[in-house]
Amino acid sequence: MRSSATIGVALSALTLTLAACGSSTPSSPSASAQGGSAAAGGKIGIDFPRTDSDFWNSYNKYVPKLAGELGVDLMPPTNSQNDVAKLVSNTQALVSQGAKAIVMAPQDTGAIATTLDQLAGKNIPVVTVDTRPDKGKTFMVVRADNRAYGEKACEFLGEQLKGKGKVVEFQGSLSSVNGRDRSEAFAECMKANYPGITVFAEPTEWEGTKASAALQTRLTQHPDINGIYMQAGGVFLAPTLQLLKSKNLLVPPTDPKHIFIISNDGIPQEFQAIRDGQIDATVSQPADLYAKWALSYAKAALEGKTFAPGKTDHDSTIVDVGGGRLEDQLPAPLVTKENVDDPNLWGNQVG
Amino acid sequence: MTETTVTSPGTPGGPPGTAGGTGRGPSGLRLARFRDLALVPAILLLVVVGALIEPAFLSGDNLTNVLQQQTELSLLVLAEAVILIAGKFDLSLESTVGLAPALGVALVIPAASNGLGTDWPAALGIPICLLIGVLVGAFNGLLILRFKLSAFIVTLGMLIVLRGLQIGFTGGQNLFALPDSFLYLGNARWVGLPASVWICGLAYAIGIVALGYFRHGRSVYAIGGNVDAARAAGVRTDRVLWTVFMIGGLLAALAGLLMTGRLGSVAASQGNGMIFTVFAAAVIGGVSLDGGKGTLFGALCGVLVLGLINNILTLAGVSAQWIQAIYGGIILIALMLARVTSGKAQD
Repeated sequence: MRSSATIGVALSALTLTLAACGSSTPSSPSASAQGGSAAAGGKIGIDFPRTDSDFWNSYNKYVPKLAGELGVDLMPPTNSQNDVAKLVSNTQALVSQGAKAIVMAPQDTGAIATTLDQLAGKNIPVVTVDTRPDKGKTFMVVRADNRAYGEKACEFLGEQLKGKGKVVEFQGSLSSVNGRDRSEAFAECMKANYPGITVFAEPTEWEGTKASAALQTRLTQHPDINGIYMQAGGVFLAPTLQLLKSKNLLVPPTDPKHIFIISNDGIPQEFQAIRDGQIDATVSQPADLYAKWALSYAKAALEGKTFAPGKTDHDSTIVDVGGGRLEDQLPAPLVTKENVDDPNLWGNQVG
Repeated sequence: MTETTVTSPGTPGGPPGTAGGTGRGPSGLRLARFRDLALVPAILLLVVVGALIEPAFLSGDNLTNVLQQQTELSLLVLAEAVILIAGKFDLSLESTVGLAPALGVALVIPAASNGLGTDWPAALGIPICLLIGVLVGAFNGLLILRFKLSAFIVTLGMLIVLRGLQIGFTGGQNLFALPDSFLYLGNARWVGLPASVWICGLAYAIGIVALGYFRHGRSVYAIGGNVDAARAAGVRTDRVLWTVFMIGGLLAALAGLLMTGRLGSVAASQGNGMIFTVFAAAVIGGVSLDGGKGTLFGALCGVLVLGLINNILTLAGVSAQWIQAIYGGIILIALMLARVTSGKAQD
């Protein structure tokens, strides 16, 4: 036991050291943005939450591109690798390098509060992307309505299964606000609208191995499972398809043995699976809109603009989520076989 | 197994025998063997509980699932157990699980599917994957044995470096387009059981025989017990340790290969965080963190305990909020049960 404690201590010590190094190392693609016209108000610092998922990689690619188009003076982005300690030190580094506004995507929504307070003390507006901090001052939260993901998935499965059947749900991590929102909304909608459907909620911590093991076990226990809701296609898609293939359950929707699958994310591989009839739908999380509106709001903040709750000019709604904190809830379209080739979907725009 | 270490030739400076092993004749011997089986009562209890909770638990399909889901972990535990018995540490195994198959795949698939653009023949994929495992082990050995660095810190650094290399080479992308050879081992069934289960069974059989009955295997215990004494007795300690690290890397790459096949993709975070479970399984199975003590059979039992607990919790539909607390609690109970039934102090 003592050794494991040592491991823990050493690990955190090391990550801290790395964070310190990482914070001053700019990622490469930002150079193009430097040439953009120096907007009023000054430089915008941005931190990428992670580089190991397809969704965030797309977001990371959109940011410098859109910064150029919007004429934002973007600093070299930092990367916090899904670690709130790194995010804190990166933010401090960005501020000391002269950032007048910060865009971040804190994956741990609780632990970022003190940093937000410090930034508020320095009058640096913060736009958070994808997640809403539990506490602390933010200029704007740019986020898809994650409860809508869960509801859309519930309605889709409920209709396809005609209100009867057994559904496996791969829950994301319940310590993240997105995993919680999707899980709660899905559970509430199922309970209210489709009481004939049994839901098996599998905790996965966003890990493909855990999802695969849980599905394999559940299919043995209940061979008549006919629906799957996966809260993140990026991590669950391949393991699920591989398992169903090995069980000969990967059959077209016309076959009575077909398992209806709805996913969240909207990555190109999901679209391909929809075209191939392997999965039935996904909710496209708008990576491009995330990048676009995060930068736009940061720029607007520097220009001294303010916003009020209500409809926006880009098909979304700004809502007051309590304490005067505003959240722009971007639309997240449901993608099925009918609209999977729509060129406006970001999953069709990345190579 | 400590007892046999002491009596084995060539380790005069080994640790003194623990009570009960020597000088009690046949009954002492039987007791010593019984201690290898310390976790068996816990496993039996879990099987009974599982059968009571859900009748489907005892079906052949479900038990096969349990075995298959644990194959990758069991190979890592095998590697870690041997390294721990030799008195060293290897934390980097979990990153090898991701890096080795990721590079093996990325070098042979076209650039359009996130490959590196080298387009090497697909047949090279698996050899490259395994070779990378061996190279990682060899590099760990170089730093630890030649440059005399601490195994703990070296492999901790390697854990981070290897994960970073994987993310760097693949640009953080999951690799979806796999050559068929990669999918084969994770999915094939030989004589009714998944191929990966046979592979693990074979690996453990070889490991148990080698560590129990072969000179080099016995010398691993000697080195872990007292490296100076082992060297004085003529064991080429560095060479043995180096081999142990390379075998560890090889097993980790093999585990990565099986996981890649089973999940149908190489995730950028493949293997991330596994090392804690690996240590848990090894220690529950009676392998000492101080070296020189423990058996591979015990480590395998540790893996089975964790696998059964996971399976039962899934079958029982334990709510997401509580699953970790219950998982940890059951592990502690299993440890206590092992302590009571074996009567042996754990360390």
